[in-house]
Amino acid sequence: MTAPFLPTDPLDRDIAIRLARDARTSFRQIAGEVGVTEGTVRTRVKRLQSAGLLRLEPIVDIASSDGDGTTPISRHMAFITVRCQAGWIDTVRAALLAMPQVEALYDANAARRIVAICLVDSLADVATVTNAVIAIEGIRDVDSELVLQTIKYDATIGPIATVEDGAREPFDQA
Amino acid sequence: MGAPRSKLRSTHDAIDRQIIAALRRDGRAQSTAIAEELGLSGNLVANRIRAMDAAGTMRVVAVADFRVHGYRMLARIRLQVNGRSPLDVAHELAARDDVLAVHLTSGRYPISCLYAFASARDMIEAARDVSSRIAGVEDVDVELLNTVYRYRPSIGPIARPDEDAA
Repeated sequence: MTAPFLPTDPLDRDIAIRLARDARTSFRQIAGEVGVTEGTVRTRVKRLQSAGLLRLEPIVDIASSDGDGTTPISRHMAFITVRCQAGWIDTVRAALLAMPQVEALYDANAARRIVAICLVDSLADVATVTNAVIAIEGIRDVDSELVLQTIKYDATIGPIATVEDGAREPFDQA
Repeated sequence: MGAPRSKLRSTHDAIDRQIIAALRRDGRAQSTAIAEELGLSGNLVANRIRAMDAAGTMRVVAVADFRVHGYRMLARIRLQVNGRSPLDVAHELAARDDVLAVHLTSGRYPISCLYAFASARDMIEAARDVSSRIAGVEDVDVELLNTVYRYRPSIGPIARPDEDAA
């Protein structure tokens, strides 16, 4: 099997680490810190971005509210784990991906199990989402877990090269 | 560079939201370019970005794929705990570098964490280690992220009090 992902080296990693906390850090500063030219930093960042391995983007805190400020939004994260009936996984997955609350989704363990990470606007919305998932045809059982407290979270590393974003080979576990 | 605001706000107003939208198009766009696009002053845009960052309500981050960090696989590991506070167990897990996230949840497994591994061997060892070396752990469910279809963390629990105090 050919390597499905662009090979990366320690320089890519060093640059990603220096951009992690503030993606607006100047390339000149990073170049000085890692000992290469500013042009090299720029080229490496572009290369990682176009390979879908690096994104420079804003992340909004889950507890901040937008809207007009008079209607506070209480956002919650929920993990919904579903087991599918034989032959139904593609249909179930498509139905889950069509739900706007599904922020992340993966197949787990190669055993007809799908995990959807949802972002909901209220506790009532947790029930709405769970009920909608249970109603999907082809599901064997649904397990819904609400995140009560986050002890650790790193927004700067994750499985960002996804099928939806055009990764050729979904996931190389070799 | 202290935030030029009397207090840190947790609410984004219309200007903040416009700036965030511009940053979604280009996270490294110059403040002056964003200002020109939105009909604002460059100083205002720079100050707003700085203030949101200082308040922890918005950050422009670099999200790198786990492979860039030398990892080869991710697993969700969920734990059942007996005779010990799940919070203590969660903190013990959070201290490990390869544990990327730890949450307390309402489910059958009160602790859920995202664990990264450089090899299958590391995963097997970590699963064994978590169940035998962390006090109070009763049952462990290890689930490999096999194929990831979507990952869009545009909103997340980024302003954690006990982490990243920088």
